[in-house]
Amino acid sequence: MNLEYLKMSPFEKFWYNFKAFFKRLPHRFAAFFKAIPQKLKKLWLAFAGIFVNLGEAATKGDWKTRTSFAVMGFGLLCRKQYLRGILYLFFEVLFILYMVFFGWKYLSKMGSLGEQAVVKGIDPITGLETYTYYDNSLLILLYSLLTIFIIAAFVYMWYHSVKGSYLTQQFAEARLKLPTTKDDIHSYADKNYHKTLLSIPMLGLVIFTILPIFFMIFIAFTNYDKAHMPPAQLFQWTGFENFVNVFGGGVSANSKVFAFTFTEVLLWTVVWAFFATFTNYVLGMIVAILINKKGVKCKKLWRTILVMTIAIPQFVSLMFMSQVLADQGLLNNLLLKWGWIDKPVPFLTDGTLARVVIIIVNMWIGIPYTMLICTGILMNIPADLYESARMDGAGPVRAYMKITLPYMLHVTTPYLITQFIGNLNNFNVIFLLSGGNPPLDMSGIPTGAGKTDLLITWLYKLTVSDSEYGIASVIGIITFVIVAVLSLLLYNRSKSVKNEEEFM
Amino acid sequence: MKTKYRSKKGAERASLVAIYAVLIIISIIWLIPFLLLIILSFRGETVGMSADYIFPKQWSFNNYVKLFTETQFLRWYGNTLLVSVVVTIVQTIIILATSYALSRLRFKLRKPLMNLMLVLGMFPGFLSMTAVYFVLKEINLTQNLFGLILVYTASSAMQYYICKGFFDTIPKSLDEAARIDGASRHTVFFKVILPLAKPIIIYTVLQAFIAPWGEYMFSSFVMLGDPDHFTVAVGMKSWLDSSQLMAEGYFSIFCAAAVIVSIPITALFIWLQRYYVEGITGGSVKG
Amino acid sequence: MADVSLTHIYKVYPNGTKAVNDFNMQIRDKEFIVFVGPSGCGKSTTLRMIAGLEDISAGELKIGDLIVNDMEPKDRDIAMVFQNYALYPHMTVYENIAFGLRLRKLPKDEIHRKVCEAAEILGITEYLNKKPKEMSGGQRQRVALGRAIVREPKVMLLDEPLSNLDAKLRTQMRAEIGKLHARLKTTFIYVTHDQVEAMTMGTRIVVMKDGFVQQIDTPKNLYNYPGNKFVAGFIGTPQMNFFEGTLLKKGDNVLIKFEYTDAQITVPYSLLYKAKPSYLDGQKVVYIGLRPEDISLAPEDVKNNKAVVKVVVSHKEDLGSETLVYGDINPDGDGYVESSTRIIIKDNSGRDLQAGDVVEAALNIERVHLFDKETEESVLPRVPEYNYLDCEVKKGKLKFLGAEVELPEAVQTDDLKGELLLPTNAVTLGGNLQAELVSCEEINGVYLLSLTLGGKRLYAVSHEAVEKKSVGIGIDFKKITVTADGETKISPMPELNCFDCKFVKQKTREEVEVKGKLKKKKVVRFGFAAHDAFFEASDEMSQKIFAALGIKGAHTTALRMECDAYHLAVSENGIAAEALETLDYGTEKFLKCKVGENTVYVKTDTDYSGNICLLPDFEHIGIVEIEREIKII
Repeated sequence: MNLEYLKMSPFEKFWYNFKAFFKRLPHRFAAFFKAIPQKLKKLWLAFAGIFVNLGEAATKGDWKTRTSFAVMGFGLLCRKQYLRGILYLFFEVLFILYMVFFGWKYLSKMGSLGEQAVVKGIDPITGLETYTYYDNSLLILLYSLLTIFIIAAFVYMWYHSVKGSYLTQQFAEARLKLPTTKDDIHSYADKNYHKTLLSIPMLGLVIFTILPIFFMIFIAFTNYDKAHMPPAQLFQWTGFENFVNVFGGGVSANSKVFAFTFTEVLLWTVVWAFFATFTNYVLGMIVAILINKKGVKCKKLWRTILVMTIAIPQFVSLMFMSQVLADQGLLNNLLLKWGWIDKPVPFLTDGTLARVVIIIVNMWIGIPYTMLICTGILMNIPADLYESARMDGAGPVRAYMKITLPYMLHVTTPYLITQFIGNLNNFNVIFLLSGGNPPLDMSGIPTGAGKTDLLITWLYKLTVSDSEYGIASVIGIITFVIVAVLSLLLYNRSKSVKNEEEFM
Repeated sequence: MKTKYRSKKGAERASLVAIYAVLIIISIIWLIPFLLLIILSFRGETVGMSADYIFPKQWSFNNYVKLFTETQFLRWYGNTLLVSVVVTIVQTIIILATSYALSRLRFKLRKPLMNLMLVLGMFPGFLSMTAVYFVLKEINLTQNLFGLILVYTASSAMQYYICKGFFDTIPKSLDEAARIDGASRHTVFFKVILPLAKPIIIYTVLQAFIAPWGEYMFSSFVMLGDPDHFTVAVGMKSWLDSSQLMAEGYFSIFCAAAVIVSIPITALFIWLQRYYVEGITGGSVKG
Repeated sequence: MADVSLTHIYKVYPNGTKAVNDFNMQIRDKEFIVFVGPSGCGKSTTLRMIAGLEDISAGELKIGDLIVNDMEPKDRDIAMVFQNYALYPHMTVYENIAFGLRLRKLPKDEIHRKVCEAAEILGITEYLNKKPKEMSGGQRQRVALGRAIVREPKVMLLDEPLSNLDAKLRTQMRAEIGKLHARLKTTFIYVTHDQVEAMTMGTRIVVMKDGFVQQIDTPKNLYNYPGNKFVAGFIGTPQMNFFEGTLLKKGDNVLIKFEYTDAQITVPYSLLYKAKPSYLDGQKVVYIGLRPEDISLAPEDVKNNKAVVKVVVSHKEDLGSETLVYGDINPDGDGYVESSTRIIIKDNSGRDLQAGDVVEAALNIERVHLFDKETEESVLPRVPEYNYLDCEVKKGKLKFLGAEVELPEAVQTDDLKGELLLPTNAVTLGGNLQAELVSCEEINGVYLLSLTLGGKRLYAVSHEAVEKKSVGIGIDFKKITVTADGETKISPMPELNCFDCKFVKQKTREEVEVKGKLKKKKVVRFGFAAHDAFFEASDEMSQKIFAALGIKGAHTTALRMECDAYHLAVSENGIAAEALETLDYGTEKFLKCKVGENTVYVKTDTDYSGNICLLPDFEHIGIVEIEREIKII
């Protein structure tokens, strides 16, 4: 920090920081890449550590420990660690049963995704066509993944069972006190309480979020689309074909359309997220300040009026608005009747107008929310800050610029980031209001997407109406990468996220 | 001296007047759609989409009567209520447990877990819908309210962020004092942290309760083509999507349904507003 | 109601910072111990380790007879009072106090009785049904105290309990906590950054800085005999004056010259007998510390005292009963900034002084403190470590202070004239040199004997009191150093022998008696492997090693075994060593051996040569973790 910096005006400061940011950028990149080998080394060491531990248990363990390699929990059971021992053993039995009766059947077909989808036959008695279904690529993929997850969990448990057995052996040899079963149970309310609290939430997360995400990623490498719909048809692995198509490198004409649509939709998504977030933020804050101003009466009433928008289910107000704003909707009809217009205003059917209308409607929905949050924070700004500003001769505008805004920005950065990311994926507002319409064309060729479609609503259409699962997955992955990179960048730059409470 | 004082007061009064004006305009803008909704729900005559007036020519409760007698609305309402209540209970428990673990307990995978959930939250949720659908199908829970509940609650741990932020503001010394007093971490959670977390519990409950009423994406997918198990959002959207029904004047019925759906939630919301704000802004607890 | 013992306690954070270094202390039952020091000195960390809120990186913590290192706080039978009170906001005062008792499932009536009793003691009975936020800071702190005392803990821990209170309330609460201690008769450990609190409350005070214990002593001793400059400056307000200066011994006088000014004084050497002679050379700069209350402006003092300096008064603070006069012994100094010539004087003479006045101030050199400029350690120790004497060696005889002793074989040297560094603990009682006893004072469990030999001062330490006027003394030659012309001619024998070692596990099949029958059984033994030898460790030792290093780290960490010459014996098995020579110190004989790279000394009665084996006495060894220099045993 040089002293010159302190005398700069805000603009100079901004410019200074801006330059400094880019000056530091190469250095940062270098640091990032320099750190990679170290991280890899660390990872490798951790990985190698696993084998070292296993090796040690195999060579130095007694027969009880060694038996644990085959019979999980054996060593623990022998040393009176009944609870953990039984759990491990139970898990192993379950795992073997699962693999024999279910898992293996699917996993073995994962490479081909099935060979025979359906066999047509003629019912000898009725003479009607019959269908016998065999392999369903979708289920094969899904259950193979599930099996892989379960195998991973098993390996993890197995490793810990062996490690635990060896550790108990060492404890016993060192004549240290081993925890009793009662201690074990108590530890789940104290030392190991996180396991108690987190096991069920994490199980749900793995099955209903992580597994589907992996499934989706794998789908991106297949030709799962209209022409390959299980159970009637199989789909196959196609490598990076879908990615090539989305980026316009494919041979088919469709590929160009996809690339075009993708760019258009992406652009609008970012524009939308930006405006939707900042209009709401700034205006919501202003409304909050107005209501909170000293001397304004009936604060609660004003607030309640606005809060009603949050309370009324969004889908109700959005669907209602979409009806009111339709070409033949109430608003147009009224305006026509009053003679203010000659023909219906295409509120939701003209590309540009629809975009503006959507942002405005979103303001109507979002401002009360921001207002509510800002109210809470405004009341927390220490009054002496304003008093000292008044002593220094600052008027209301200056006080706002110098105190309120910086303070709010500081406190609400995480909220702002969450809002921005939420808006990138804001399905409801677009889908229920405009449904993504009007349609987007590429010089006459329909693209299937609309001008107000966000990546997420386009994805919805691709999957639900067009059954282009492969392509949709690719776009899903790309959306994810964009959102993840953006938000990680933002998160890491905001200090409030960084210093949680770790340094207290 | 005196004049100056008065002029200052005058300026203040003028600015207040301006503020009131702005607030009134804002209130009107915000209230019009609701008033409209309520007014339209009392429309007695059947007009299609082409109505060009606001106030009904015939005020009547007919739409409400129809809503409960001729449509499946009551069933949908019951469905949604059931889902909401169960989701509220399960989700609140999961979020509180996760937040406490991440805020107060120290274990090896804490940071990676938080980062993982942050990243997972950025995935477009419904893309995984196909997989979720087949998982549900395998356990026979498609077209089933419990399937929907499972989908809503399974990943609730990812919404730990605000709740954890609140827990972080409760001084650590309270935990420490309790642990010295003889409490296990479990006891600390139930006897010390939870009683202090009232605002965030109410916030979480409110959020969890409201979400199923407005959620369309997942419920339409899980309940695909089974009107008996629709939630209100899916059911009401199905009216709007059918031009035949719209021509029969279902728009007025839609409005009536919207009013019925909104009333309890709005009431709840206005009642619990204070906690809601305290919840998000992390009201500080002073010991 | 319990002793607390901290042995070699360390707190090392994962990033390597050491918050607490080698904390050793035996706290006796019913003591009131105060940890004091500036923020970040490790005092709170130590307290939290005792409470079980922080893990102990290494060392052993005992409460009563139990090692509690790995015990949960709730099982340690302690209570703690926090700086921010940490009252449960959602409970009433009654519930707050009863919380711990309810968790311990005491009967309702008993809880009620105890809570009421505690409330009575603390005078908060009328608030029992209130919530903490309806109460003032002082009342809240009483509730926090109440919550602690109802539990009747073995040890009360208080973490800066008064720092959130205003000054008046603090004084009042200070007295009340003192009263509480007297009434409860339990061990109190109290953390504060306020030296006044420490001085008024503690039976013993631990002064800490940067994770190191600076001094552990009673308040009085801390004030009178600070061990280093930090303690000297920390205890006492206003702070002690520190001047930089040099000391030059001239005959029976010492000339003290102050730096950065012309001021100098001459004092009799008898006042500075204990000072390390190497500092009396007129070259080495030392800090000269004098408390403001040991400097006087009163005319009669100035007249009677030779140690007088001129002071330019810069400003003063009138405190009513006394006046703090700020000035400078350098005529050009300004007296405001803390410098090595600024002087603060507590003046009771009531003189009316103006800025710019030049006055004479009498320094009470009897109460002077001297500190090394680099290490800041006292060079005027209460128990001097060494006697610095001139000596002469002639024909195998050592002459010093007019006495003459025969040098034993081991420390023979050529004739020379030089200096003798004679440690005070190398002066043994019961020899044939006759010395006169001047005084004998007890200091922290040892007795410091001031003797005169040949008319000169000689210090000795002893473990028992001596009353005879005339004592016979001898010299432990293995501890002395003789230098001549800058060369060391005789050097002391190192006190500790070091061996590199590892903690290992050994598995053997042995015949073990099981139910009266001999059976072959696998037996696992733990012990130390040092230079190919294996020594079985006692269970207690193993536990300590495991506790400090973990069950895996125990076998991989490099350790050092320390053992003095008396607890090492030549034996048939043990550490292989090569005997080099036998050193004869007259009364004792030592064997000098080579073990690997190291040289070790063994007390012996017979001569050995060639390869031998050494066996340490396991009752008296120390084990140190080399990498972090942490003493485990």
